Amino acid sequence: MTRLSSLRPGESAVITSLPSDVKLASRLRELGLLIGTRIAFVRCAPMGDPLEFRLRGFELSIRREDASRVLIDETTRSLGTVETLARVAAPQPMLPSHPAPLALPEHLPGEVTAKSYAVVGNPNCGKTTLFNALTGMRQKVGNYPGVTVEKKSGQFIGQHGERVELLDLPGSYSLSAHAPDERVTRDVLLGLRQDTPRPERILCVVDASHLERNLYFVTQVLELGLPTIIALNMIDVAEAQGMPINTHKLSEELGVPVIPLQATRKESLLPLRLALSRAEISRSSWRPELPALWTRANDAVAARWGGVYPVDSRTPRDPLARMKAALLLVAPDAETSPLAEELGAGEAVILAVAQRAMLERELPEWREKLVSARYARIAELCHATQGGHYISDAFTHRLDDLLTHSVWGWVSFVGMMTLMFVSIFTIAQYPMDWINMGFDKLSGLVQAVLAPGDLRDLLTDGVIAGVGGVVVFLPQILILFFFIGLLEDTGYMARAAFLMDRVMNKVGLHGKSFIPLLSSYACAIPGIMSTRTIENPKDRLVTILVAPLMSCSARLPVYALMIAALMPSRTVWTKGALMMGLYLLGTLAALLFAWLFKKTILKGETPLFLMELPPYRLPALHQIISQMFQRAGIFLKRAGTVILAISIILWFLASFPKMTVAPGAPEPTKTEELQHSFAGRLGHVIEPAIAPLGMDWKIGIGLIAAQAAREVFVGTMSVVYNVERKEGDSPDTLGETLRHQQRPDASPVYTPLTCLSILVFFVLSMQCVSTLAVVRRETNSVRWPIFQFFYMTGTAYVAALILYQGGRVLGFH
Amino acid sequence: MSPTIQTVTALALVVGAALYFILAWLKKRKNPGCGGGCGCSASSKTKLGE
Repeated sequence: MTRLSSLRPGESAVITSLPSDVKLASRLRELGLLIGTRIAFVRCAPMGDPLEFRLRGFELSIRREDASRVLIDETTRSLGTVETLARVAAPQPMLPSHPAPLALPEHLPGEVTAKSYAVVGNPNCGKTTLFNALTGMRQKVGNYPGVTVEKKSGQFIGQHGERVELLDLPGSYSLSAHAPDERVTRDVLLGLRQDTPRPERILCVVDASHLERNLYFVTQVLELGLPTIIALNMIDVAEAQGMPINTHKLSEELGVPVIPLQATRKESLLPLRLALSRAEISRSSWRPELPALWTRANDAVAARWGGVYPVDSRTPRDPLARMKAALLLVAPDAETSPLAEELGAGEAVILAVAQRAMLERELPEWREKLVSARYARIAELCHATQGGHYISDAFTHRLDDLLTHSVWGWVSFVGMMTLMFVSIFTIAQYPMDWINMGFDKLSGLVQAVLAPGDLRDLLTDGVIAGVGGVVVFLPQILILFFFIGLLEDTGYMARAAFLMDRVMNKVGLHGKSFIPLLSSYACAIPGIMSTRTIENPKDRLVTILVAPLMSCSARLPVYALMIAALMPSRTVWTKGALMMGLYLLGTLAALLFAWLFKKTILKGETPLFLMELPPYRLPALHQIISQMFQRAGIFLKRAGTVILAISIILWFLASFPKMTVAPGAPEPTKTEELQHSFAGRLGHVIEPAIAPLGMDWKIGIGLIAAQAAREVFVGTMSVVYNVERKEGDSPDTLGETLRHQQRPDASPVYTPLTCLSILVFFVLSMQCVSTLAVVRRETNSVRWPIFQFFYMTGTAYVAALILYQGGRVLGFH
Repeated sequence: MSPTIQTVTALALVVGAALYFILAWLKKRKNPGCGGGCGCSASSKTKLGE
C-alpha cells in the first residue's frame, strides 16, 4: 500500500483507504477525499510540511503525517492534472438520475410570506462580501449568548419597499460542525437556539469556481426543506477557468432559484435582490440516493426524536428531525459527547446507538458510502450543468511556486514585511508633518484669542497637545491597515499560514493559529475573535493568550515616538529595521509562550491541520480604501472621545492642585508645579518600581495612563511636557522635547537604553483594557484575562529590567 | 474672559470628561465587549477570505 504523502509534485493517484481515526476520516470525507477520488500533489511548504493537494477543483493543505495515513493505489499513479485524468475516465453514474422526491410533511405552510433569510455557505465563497454589498451600512453586530460567536444581521429594502432581513451565519463545510462558529450555523439552521428563531428562508452562497465542493454543504442545507435561493457567486472566475455553468439547468435539477452574480459588482446583484423580495420561494426536493438500510435507520431515529412515536411507518418524516437524526447517527461518540443534548435528542440517543451498531454489522464502511453517494449525485449534477474544460489557474500556480518556495517564499514574506514597515516611515512622513503644522497653528490661534488662564492651558496643553499627539500617527496606522487589507484580499494570508504551519507545529499549534496572530498586527481584538475557527479549545485559548504579544497598531505611535527620540538622524532603513525588530520580538515572544503553555498549563496533542488555499485574486482596492476610511473614522472618533476625555483629565491631574505661594516667595518652576500635582504624586509613588528600568516619574504617569489604551502614552507625554513648557518656548516636536529632557543630575532622561527599555516594555506588556474585556468574553472567565495581564506585564518588567541593568553593566547608557 | 471664568469653564470640562467615562463604563456593563472603539473593525474575520 502506498501513502498519499509519497506522491511527487505533478503526480496524482486514486485514494484507496482513509485513516482509521474516525474524526479525521470524517473531516477528510466532508472535504471530498473519498475512496475512488483522484487527488494530485501540488507542492509542499518550504520546511517540508504541510503538503498541498488538488482535488475536486480546489487546493487543500494537509500535514504530512495525516497525508501518510491516506493510502493510494500505486497502479493509478500518473502525471497530469486531476481534471485531465478525470476526463479520460469519465465518471460512471452509480445512481438513477432523478431520485424519488421526498414527501413534505403536511404541517409545513404552503405559502411563506416572511422575508428574513439566513445567509450560509462555505468559507471563502464571498458570503460576507455579498452580505455587506446587500446590507451596506444597515448592519448590526452582536453576540450569540453563551458562545463567543458574532451575530451579524442586516437588512435591505426589497423590490416593494419592504424590509428584507439577513442573518449572516459563519461559513461551514458541513452540518457536522467541528468549530464553535460552525456549531452556531448548525444550531441556527436546526432551530436549536432559543435566542435566534429558526430562519424562514435561506440564501445559500456558492463559489461557482469550486462548485463540486460547495454543493456538499448546499445539498445538506436543501434537505432541511426550507425555501432556499442559491447565489452563485464568482461566476466570472468559473468562466475564466473554462467551466461556465448552466444556471437554468442547475436550478431545474435542484428545484430552487439559482442566481449567478459577482458579489464585488453591485450591478450584478439586482436579480438577487428581486429574487429575495419574492413572496414565494420554492423548496428543493433534491435528495441523494442513500442506502436503504441507512434510510430506515435514519427514519427510525427521527421518528423517536423528542419522544414522538410513529403511528404509521409510512408517514413522511419531518426533514428537520431526519437531519438531526442523521447528524446523531454519523457522530462517532454521540452517546458520550454533548452532541445528543445539543441536538435535543432525548430518548432517541438510545435508539441511535443501536441503529449505529446495526449499520456497522450490516453495512460495512457505511460512513464512506453515505458521503460517496452524496458526492456521486453531486458529480452527476456538475457533469450535467458545467461545460467546457478546466483551464488551470496558471497565475495562482506560478505565484505559489514563488511565494511558497523553500527560499523565495521566505524572502518574499520578509520582503513584504520590510516594505510595509519602511513605507510607514517614508510615505507617512508628509501627512504627519502637515498634521503637526495644523495643530501648531490651532494652538497659536487659541493663545492669540484667549487671555492666559486655565481654560487656555487646558485647550493648548491638554486638548490640542493630547489629541494632536495621537492623531499625528493616523497616516502610519492607515498604511499598516492598507497593507494588511491587501494581504487578506489577495489570498496571501492562507499562504502565510501554509508557510508558518511547520513553525507553529513546533510550538504545538497549527498554521491556522497564525492567521489570528497576523491579524493582531492591526488589532488584537479581531485577531482574538477570529480564533473561533480553531476547533481545539486549548489551542484556541493558547492563541488568545499570546495574540496581544503581536505588536498592534496602537503600539505604533509609541514605537515611532521612541525611535524618533532614540535615533533622530538615522536613515529610514535603520528606523524601519528597528521597527521590524520590535515586531519580531513580539512575534518570537508569542511563539515562545505558546510553546510554554502547550507544554505546561494547556498541554494537548498537536491539532489537525486541514486548510483550503483559495486562488489569488486581484485586490478590490476600492473596498480596501473604503475600509481604510472607515478605520480612519473609527480612529478619529476614538481620538475625539476617549483620547480627548483622557487628555482633559490628565491635564487636570497634571495641573492641580495648584501650589500656594507665600507672599514674597519666588514663583515655583513648572517642574515643581508638576511634581506637586496629582499626576506628579502618582508618578512619584510608582517611580521606585520603574527606576530600575531607567524610567522616571513622568514616564510612570504615561505608563499608568497607557493602561486605558497604549497610544495614550504618547498623548500623556505630550500633555506632561507641554504643561512643563515655559511661556515663550518654541513648540518642538515631542521627539525633540524628549531628547532635551534632563534628570536632576543633568543627565539625559531618554538615553538609548531608556528608550529601548520603554520599547521592550511596550512590546511585551498588556496595556489595553478593551482587549482584556474581549478576552474575558471569549474565554467566558475572569481568571484568564487576569492571568494574561500578569504574565505579560511581569515578563515586560523583567525583560526591560534585564535590558537596562544588563546594558549598564556592559557600559552602555 | 477673566481667569475665574476660565478656571470654572476648565473644571466643568474636566467634570464632563469624568462623566463620559462613568457613563461609558455603565454602558459597557450592559453590553460587554470592546465596542469597536479601538480603531479596528470588530465585526471582521470569522474565517479566512470570507
